[in-house]
Amino acid sequence: MSKIVEKKLIEYPFLPEPLRLITFDNGHKLVLAKKESPMVNVSTWVKTGSINENADNNGVSHFLEHLMFKGTHKYKAGEFDCTLERKGGIINAATWKDYTFYYVTIPKAHLELALHMHADMMIDPVLPDDEIGQTFDPAGVPPKDGRERCVVIEEIRMGQDRSWRKVYDKLNDAMYEKHPYKRNVIGTKEIIARISRDDIMAYYQNFYAPKNMTTIIVGQFDDEAIIAKVQEEFNFQNAAPKKLLTPDERVPEVQIKNPTVIEEMAEIQTGYIMAGFLADKAGCLKESIALDLISVILGEGKSSRLNRKFIETPEKPHFYQIDTCHYQFKDGDNFFIEANFEAAFKDEVVTEIRSELDLLTNIKEEELNKAKKRLKVNFAEGAETVSEIADTIGHYMTVMEDVSLANEYLKTLAEIDTAYLESVVRKYLTKDKCSISILMPKA
Amino acid sequence: MKLIQKNGIDILIKNTKNTPRMAVCLYFSIDLPEKYAGVYSLFSKLLLKGTKTRSAEELADIIENNGIKTSIKCKQDYLKVSTLFLNEDFNLALEVLADILQNSTFEAFEKEVYKLKGEIVADLDSPQLKASDAFIEGIYEGHYYGNSCAKTLLDLEKIQKQDVVDVLAQIMRAKKVISIAGDFADEDKIVEYFTNNFSFMKTSDSKPEIPDVLTFAGDNGKDKIVKIAKNDAKQAQIFKGCIVGTQFSEDYPKIVVMNNILGASGLSSRLFVELRDKQGLAYTVRSALEPMRHSSLFYFYIGTEPKNIQKSLEGFKIEVKKLVDTHVLDIELTGAKENIMGRLEYFSQTNAQLASIAGYDYLMGLGLHYEEKYKEMILNVTKDDVMYVAQKYLQNPSMISVLAPEEYLNF
Repeated sequence: MSKIVEKKLIEYPFLPEPLRLITFDNGHKLVLAKKESPMVNVSTWVKTGSINENADNNGVSHFLEHLMFKGTHKYKAGEFDCTLERKGGIINAATWKDYTFYYVTIPKAHLELALHMHADMMIDPVLPDDEIGQTFDPAGVPPKDGRERCVVIEEIRMGQDRSWRKVYDKLNDAMYEKHPYKRNVIGTKEIIARISRDDIMAYYQNFYAPKNMTTIIVGQFDDEAIIAKVQEEFNFQNAAPKKLLTPDERVPEVQIKNPTVIEEMAEIQTGYIMAGFLADKAGCLKESIALDLISVILGEGKSSRLNRKFIETPEKPHFYQIDTCHYQFKDGDNFFIEANFEAAFKDEVVTEIRSELDLLTNIKEEELNKAKKRLKVNFAEGAETVSEIADTIGHYMTVMEDVSLANEYLKTLAEIDTAYLESVVRKYLTKDKCSISILMPKA
Repeated sequence: MKLIQKNGIDILIKNTKNTPRMAVCLYFSIDLPEKYAGVYSLFSKLLLKGTKTRSAEELADIIENNGIKTSIKCKQDYLKVSTLFLNEDFNLALEVLADILQNSTFEAFEKEVYKLKGEIVADLDSPQLKASDAFIEGIYEGHYYGNSCAKTLLDLEKIQKQDVVDVLAQIMRAKKVISIAGDFADEDKIVEYFTNNFSFMKTSDSKPEIPDVLTFAGDNGKDKIVKIAKNDAKQAQIFKGCIVGTQFSEDYPKIVVMNNILGASGLSSRLFVELRDKQGLAYTVRSALEPMRHSSLFYFYIGTEPKNIQKSLEGFKIEVKKLVDTHVLDIELTGAKENIMGRLEYFSQTNAQLASIAGYDYLMGLGLHYEEKYKEMILNVTKDDVMYVAQKYLQNPSMISVLAPEEYLNF
């Protein structure tokens, strides 16, 4: 059984009690957050995603996420889902570039059962061949027992029918030169159809080590009892990987080397555009907050610059939607401007978005104040349910690698002024630093 | 939730301690079908586009500068105007809310018609939405509930500004309720604030004049099928459904339990296990139940490789047959009940959720403590009940909408 090597209390915005961060001797971390609620949330965040993949196994993190639900030595495939859903639980998982996480949100009476089954799933997945499904030639017909391979391929297909997804995937590829972030998290049909169980298990053994895992429990419970239960249930077996994997080298890219414009066609009626920028890693807190603020000022809400100028003011706007967003990543952030527009105005749209970037170094005090209030409210919003609290903590533990930055966020936010924002704009968000992806209707 | 009736205003109030944001929902009954498809959507959009004293720009500034979230949602049977704000912004948020409902000018009418048209065209780029739109239009053909996006596109040009102005007068005559959840020191003061400043929320005993839709006849007693060709679609989008009992029907809790077992419990539902886990047909497959005041819609949905259209429809049939012919297992029945209870708790965590659910239940006439009654009704559902509603509803003709490349639509 693991031993506690460190305990910390960490203040967290809008929660009545500080978080308890516990580190065990095997590197596994536990965060406890108190929230008055009829529900509890149990999740484990693993520090792996497409960041640890290479050209041969792209998509394995996500495929493994599906397969983690396919049984352990104690519980056969489907038992986890059935047992917990039949106790009122909501269960699922998600994979992204820097992390994969698994969660159960369940009425609090069933916390012990949820923790027991969740830990079992995390430390002892069997990955049965008959659940994974036969490998097959991706150019041919899938076998009848394609099972979870076919499910993932359907998920890939689903994404291919979504206009925003198409635009994003092309842009993401164009933004990076070599970094693994360049690849699509879900992988390709070609790889999913062929990847073997051994390769998937090797990936699990390499990256699902205790030092890469943070378990988070949010709700009402007895701290000491739950810590003891976590120690008992997360009984890692120290199985050394049989095969050591070498993910691609990760040289952070914080500026697009060859800005480009890509255009594709589809059977649609309107145009879609995304402009993407790279920035420094999420752990650079002040810059990251500045990008959050700029996103609010530029494109979030009806009073944002882009919405006001291109949608709310014109009598006949040719934009249907325009937004911005800032994604935080461990090795370097992304910033996007995205718009949906009347296809006949493509050239004007590209020019207008680019010229708006030139105006972004004239930020007014009232714009900054609005954005600060909005970000403060976002924190309050993120502390309303056990699931949202767990998600924010998980993000800070894996992407930012320090949960105390959540509290630092509001302090640092208060210190930022317009001059600083403008310096961040000049550093990352000028029109010569972006790539653009466009999806247009077929003629 | 507590109901306070004062000066003709019905107020539902719940004090939730230690919550930084307060939620206020104003519900208005919609008692008439809209004159043209899209009138109610247009009305909702125009409520935030300027009042006698504030331009659209000023409204957006005052709301967003203070981190207030205000939304207007118009569904078939009600209009919900809701606001969510930090406790410190109580007066400001509610003053804005009262302003938009009392003083909207609707001057941006032409512009919003233009924008709505563009937004609908863009929305219909989504294959799933396009198939769902055709499904709704088909199953509610000739009824106001069938006012789809596509129908709105056709009707938009006919709508006059006066049609939208008339909606405001219409909802002001209708039944209303204010639903509040938040952390407040003095409940009496909150009630006093609303009775003094929201007198326009005086309720009435108006009755809806929308006809009920309790059955779907299909196409001469057979399934009615709409096929939509989209040649670059990688997946087929399939909706198949029928009309079932409303929330006022004694069948409703039985249908809820059946739906949960069949395709709404999450990863362990029958559809998920049989069509996704075992056959690998889809990433998303589910059944759903959408209750409305005058009808309830039950449907299956799957997104699948186009060559699997027949297999998927056959899969739905097999699952229906199982429910019709064989009792569900005891463990499935008790599990479904617990799953439903857990979901109720899950979706009742925030002030916004609490205010929204209570306001809806009250406005629809389901009662002040409907949630408790609903739980009791769910707990009383038996295996016979599940079989009974499957036999009663799922063997009727269905509406089927399928979007796929043309070559796969020959079925």
